[in-house]
Amino acid sequence: MRPDAPRKIERAMDVLVVGGGPAGMACASACARQGLSVTLVDQRASLGGAIFRQPVGGAAPVPQPASSRQRWRRLLADLTSAPGLDLRLETLFLGLEADGLALIEDRNAGRVLSLRPRALVLATGAVERILPRPGWTLPGVVTAGGLQVLMKETGRPPAGRVVLAGSGPLLLAVAAQMTGLGHPPLAILEAGDPLRRWSAGLALIAHPALLREAAGYLATLARARVPWHRGAVLRRIAAESEGEGETLVATWTDRRGASHSLAADRIALHDGLAENAFGLPEDAAASPRRPLVLRIGDCRAALGAPAAIADGTAAGERIAARLASPTGRQATDAETEPAALARHRAAQGHIARAFAPLAPVSPADLADDTVLCRCEGRTVGDLKRLLAEDEGLSPRELKLSGRFAMGACQGRFCAANTAALTSSLTGATTPFAPGAFTGQRWPIRPVPIAALAAPAPAPSLPDESQT
Amino acid sequence: MTRPTFFWMSRPIPFSDGESIAAALTAAGIVSLGRDPVGQSARYFCGIGACQACTVRVAGVPREACLTRAEAGARVEPLHPAPLHLVQGEPGDAA
Repeated sequence: MRPDAPRKIERAMDVLVVGGGPAGMACASACARQGLSVTLVDQRASLGGAIFRQPVGGAAPVPQPASSRQRWRRLLADLTSAPGLDLRLETLFLGLEADGLALIEDRNAGRVLSLRPRALVLATGAVERILPRPGWTLPGVVTAGGLQVLMKETGRPPAGRVVLAGSGPLLLAVAAQMTGLGHPPLAILEAGDPLRRWSAGLALIAHPALLREAAGYLATLARARVPWHRGAVLRRIAAESEGEGETLVATWTDRRGASHSLAADRIALHDGLAENAFGLPEDAAASPRRPLVLRIGDCRAALGAPAAIADGTAAGERIAARLASPTGRQATDAETEPAALARHRAAQGHIARAFAPLAPVSPADLADDTVLCRCEGRTVGDLKRLLAEDEGLSPRELKLSGRFAMGACQGRFCAANTAALTSSLTGATTPFAPGAFTGQRWPIRPVPIAALAAPAPAPSLPDESQT
Repeated sequence: MTRPTFFWMSRPIPFSDGESIAAALTAAGIVSLGRDPVGQSARYFCGIGACQACTVRVAGVPREACLTRAEAGARVEPLHPAPLHLVQGEPGDAA
């Protein structure tokens, strides 16, 4: 889809930063302090990203480690004191046009704007990995991060009986925060067993801050007697009637293979974090028609907030040097990761090994009616049938004829799983990459046609409440 | 003090200043946000505007409930008001 009319450039700036989480905030501050003109856009009405989601309406903040609170205060103070920053909230990045214009959707104005930045910084953070399981698309099933940001936003724990399932330290953090708000979860079903992965655990001794944080969570959970079942695999979720309404039933197996079930109102899933880089333009040096493009923070490598802040700050300084050089044509930054990040990368590697599932579930073993692609309702069986007809189908052909990774989420939640299952079914020597299914094009997210077509300046959105 | 409300279909939903539509609906016990064209329930899932599964209509415009602030008096409805086989096509909705 591509409007034919040439777009009017509505604003030029040195740097456009997409995403107001830790990486984007740190980078915007650093660029502004170097004297560059900076526009920072974020999709929500407030800064902070998912990690620093702020409470609304005077709600008390969710219990957080002191180090985390300190990082947020610092980020905000730096940004507030940065000179001449153009901050645009409730504004979404749609993509980079072939002629180097960055398109953003201003939801308050209800229209799409074309910007011409000299540098485009992408700081869109991380997205949770969610493995497919029968029933994962039912209402009441959320991601653990989704559950957590609601807690941060409202200061309230989720209502009802909650089960956390999947793998990773985020499950412990969410459980401890729920407990801190007086409403512990029924259980945590953890596919790995970090207590038995001695070598990975020992390696984390070099990262005392992480161990302190984990110990704090575990102590909170032990006091509240929240069961942390390790080596536990959530096999399926079903909706069953219970009294007047419906309840979710989680069926899980323990490490010996024995089956158990738990009735719950909310089931929160989490199978790790991945870069939220879907559809984003690649890092590139500036050219006469295209801006310098740089991914920073978790969307470049999902290493967490402290790494994102370091990455954003370092990127700000590099961008200033790059834009000041007469040619602006030095190498891109892919190979020059700031040295401080190596330590974060090592720590995340140890954590991933510590939490590695004891018995990973192969997507090929899932029941045929398990939904792979929620947006289009496409199942494991649908993919198996397509590949049984023609094993040589390319990811693009699977997408076009099978509708995998084609829906409104644009593959953010199914491309990796579809790629894994395709690789497993075809016995591919080189596994398919999720990007082979998602491709790169704009808009990188759904946008109302009315906003694309809106003339400038547009009347505000049809919004009866604004006077 | 009475809290402001918006309307989920015809039901008034109270919210706090700055709260997202998703948070307010969740607090009101509303878990299913209507059916989508393939027959699954729309629902809150990722909380960061990535999965699109909580997209609803706010004053007629599709918006992720998790990204969009609740506004007093706003009319919020399912993206697809009725199962698709009862509606004569909704071109563009699956974009």
